[in-house]
Amino acid sequence: MKITGYRVEQYLMRLDRAIADCNLASGVDLLPGSILFLETDENITGIALGAGAGLDGLFKFIEGADPREVVGLWCRMNDSLHKIGNRGITSFGLSAFDMALWDLKAKIEDAPLWRTLGAREGRVKAYASGLDYCLTDEELFAFYRRMAELGIDSGKLKVGLDLNADMRRLGIMREALSVASRSPALMIDSNEYWSPKQAVRWIRRMEEKFDLIWVEEPARRWDYHGLRQVSRQVKAAVATGENLHSVADVYPLIANRAVDVLNVWTGHSGVTGCLQVARLAQAFDLPVSMMNAQANYMAQVAAAIPNHWMMEVVDPGREHCLKFDNRIEDGFIVLGESPGWGVEVDEKKLKELQAHPPTGRGQFPFPRREGAGRYIVPPAKGEVPW
Amino acid sequence: MRITGLETTLFACPPAGRRRTAGAPFAGCVVGLLTDSKLSGIAIGGSDLRVELAALTRQFLKGEDPRAAPALWQRMMDGRARSAGRAKTRAAMALLDLSLWDLKAKANDEPLWKTLGGSRPRVNAVASCSDGTLNDTELVKWFTDLAREFGFKSGMLRPGRDAGTDRRRLGRVRKALSSDAGEPELAIDAAGNWTAEQAIRRAREVERRFDLAWIALAAPRRDATGLKKVSDSVRAALCAGRGLRFPGDFQPHFQERSIDLVQVDIGLNGITGALQLADAAFGFELPVMLCAAPGNIQAQLAGAMPYVMNVEVTAPRPTEELFTTDVRIEDGHAVAGDAPGNGLGLNRAALARAAVQKLPARSSGR
Repeated sequence: MKITGYRVEQYLMRLDRAIADCNLASGVDLLPGSILFLETDENITGIALGAGAGLDGLFKFIEGADPREVVGLWCRMNDSLHKIGNRGITSFGLSAFDMALWDLKAKIEDAPLWRTLGAREGRVKAYASGLDYCLTDEELFAFYRRMAELGIDSGKLKVGLDLNADMRRLGIMREALSVASRSPALMIDSNEYWSPKQAVRWIRRMEEKFDLIWVEEPARRWDYHGLRQVSRQVKAAVATGENLHSVADVYPLIANRAVDVLNVWTGHSGVTGCLQVARLAQAFDLPVSMMNAQANYMAQVAAAIPNHWMMEVVDPGREHCLKFDNRIEDGFIVLGESPGWGVEVDEKKLKELQAHPPTGRGQFPFPRREGAGRYIVPPAKGEVPW
Repeated sequence: MRITGLETTLFACPPAGRRRTAGAPFAGCVVGLLTDSKLSGIAIGGSDLRVELAALTRQFLKGEDPRAAPALWQRMMDGRARSAGRAKTRAAMALLDLSLWDLKAKANDEPLWKTLGGSRPRVNAVASCSDGTLNDTELVKWFTDLAREFGFKSGMLRPGRDAGTDRRRLGRVRKALSSDAGEPELAIDAAGNWTAEQAIRRAREVERRFDLAWIALAAPRRDATGLKKVSDSVRAALCAGRGLRFPGDFQPHFQERSIDLVQVDIGLNGITGALQLADAAFGFELPVMLCAAPGNIQAQLAGAMPYVMNVEVTAPRPTEELFTTDVRIEDGHAVAGDAPGNGLGLNRAALARAAVQKLPARSSGR
C-alpha cells in the first residue's frame, strides 16, 4: 500500500455549550475545525482531526511510502524541519500526517488503534474537565453531576482570577462529583495566568480547604525554575506540558524535575511523538495524562501507555460531523472494535457545515489575558455569569 | 489468536570450528511460544531459563492475545514487581517479549521492523570481539575476516592488561579494519572492570595515539558519578546501559549526562523495554547502540528508533546451522529483510542434535 495524496477539509463548529479558561473568561462556542484525509492506492483513507499547516512541504517525505512504516516516516518529516524546528503550526502539520498514518496502519490490520499499539484493553480512566470558567454555578454543578453519573470521580476546575469564587466553585464541583466517590479527586488549572509565587499563594490558600491532586500550568510552560518552585511549595502535583510540541520541549522539564504529571496530547508531534514523551516520562517514573480531544479519539493512544493516569473529558458537543466508536462507562472511556481511530466523518454533514457555517462568539485559540504573570485582572462586570 | 503454551529447548554447540570466540561453547535456550493458530513465536536466549519461562507463561500469557505484547510486558513487570530485577526473571521476560512481538508481526504477515513502524533498517554495524582471551594473531584474524567478508569499518575490543597492550592491539585491529574507505572507528569495551580513576589513566594513555570513538562500561554500570568523571576527562564518548534492568536504572545516567551513548540490550529489556529506553534517550539527545543478540535481530528495531547510532555484532551470521536469520551484514551495515516476524528460523534437525539437558558451565549466549 502506498500513500497517494491528501486533502484537508476546513469547517466551523458551534459547540453545544461554551467553554472558557481564565484567559478568556467570557468563553467561546465557535471553533475552527479541520480534518486531514490521507489517501492510498488501496481505497483505505486515514484521517486526522486537526490538520495544522505546512502540509505541502511535509507531504513529499511520505508520498509513495508504505503507511505501516509510520515511525520511520515521522523521523523523515522531523528531520526535514531541522532548520525551522518542529514547532508552531508546522508541528501540527507533522502531527496530522503522523496521526493519519497511524489510522492507516491500524486499518490495514483491521484493528482498533489501541490494539495496533499493543494495549490489552481499550479502556482509559476519565476525569471531567468543564473548561468551565464561563458556566454559572448551576451549570457547573450540572456538568460535573452529569459526569459523576457516568462514574467519573475526578474533576478539574478552571481558576485564576478570583480566589473566593474559585474556592466556592471547587466546593460545588466536589459536591457534584460526590455521587461517584466519597472523596472525589480535585484538580485546578490556571492556564499560565499566575506567576509562580502567585500560584503558591493561592494554591496554599486552596489547600487549607481542599485536597488537590494536581495543579495545572501554575507557571509558564518552559519555566522549569518556576514550575519546580511551585511543586516544592504546594502539596499538589504540578501538571504541565499541553502547550509543548515534542520530546525536545519536554526534556528541560524532566531534566530539571519541574513536572510531576505530564500532560500529553496530539500536539506532541502526533502519536509517535506522544509515545516518545510518555516513554521519556516513564523512564523517570512520571505519570502522564492525555489531554481532551474531539470524540475522545486520543483515548486510543492513552490505552496503550502503561504510565497513563487518566484522560481529560470535556464533552462540549463538537462531534456533529463525526461518528465514533467509544463511550463512557463506569468512569472509563471504553473503546470499540472499529478499526483505526474508530472515527468516521459524516461527509454529508461536513458539507452542510461548510455550506452554511454556524455563527457564535469568542476567539479561539484563547489569547493570554492582560496582567498574566504580573498582576491579576478580575473578571469585568458581565464578563462571567457568576 | 491466543497463546496456548510454550516449548523450550536447551542447546549447546562445541566451540570447534567456530572462529568467533576462543573457548566458550555457544549455548542457550530456544523459546517457541505456541498459539491456537499455526504460528509460533520464536526467540533465542543465552541461559537456562526454563523454570522462569514456564512460570511467567502460565501466570501471565496463557489465553492472551499476542498483539498486546507491550501490555503483556507491563503485566509481567507489574506482576513480578519484587523479583523482576533478578537476572533470570528479567531475561525470561525479555525472551517472552521477543516471542510475543514475533507473533504480533507474523499475525500481520510482515517483518518485525514494519510492525514496529520502522523504515527498513540499514544501520551501522560494529564488529565486537567480546572475547578478551584471544591472542594477537587470533584477534587480527577475527577482524580481518570480518572486514573482508562483511565490510566492517568499526570495531570494539576488550582491553588488555595495560595501556601498552591496548595500543599494540588497537594498532593491529585498526590495520585489519582499514580499507580504501579510510580510517576505521575504534572502541573499547571495558565491561565495568575498571574504577573511574583506572579508566581515566588507561584511556588518556591510549588516546595519546588512538582516536577512540567510545568506551563501553569504563566504570561499573551503575556508577553515574564515576562514569561522569571519566566522560569529563577523556575525549571518547562514554557508553553504558548493558546489564541495567530497569528503565529507572538509567535515570541517573540521563540526569547526570554520565554517558554519551546508551547501550540498549533486547536480551534484558525485550523489544517493549528497548523502545521505551530508545525514546527516553532521544528525549535526552543521547544516541543508542543496540547490543548484540542471536541472529542480530536487534537490527530489526533500528528503523523504529529515532536516534540509533549503531548495532553491536558479535556474530555476523549464525555459524552453527541451528537457526537462520533474516538480518544480513553487508558493507558494514546490518540490513533486515522481508521475512515475517523477527526473521529467526529454526533448523529443527540440527537443534535436536544439539539438544542438551543441562547447559555447560561456561558458555557464550551470543
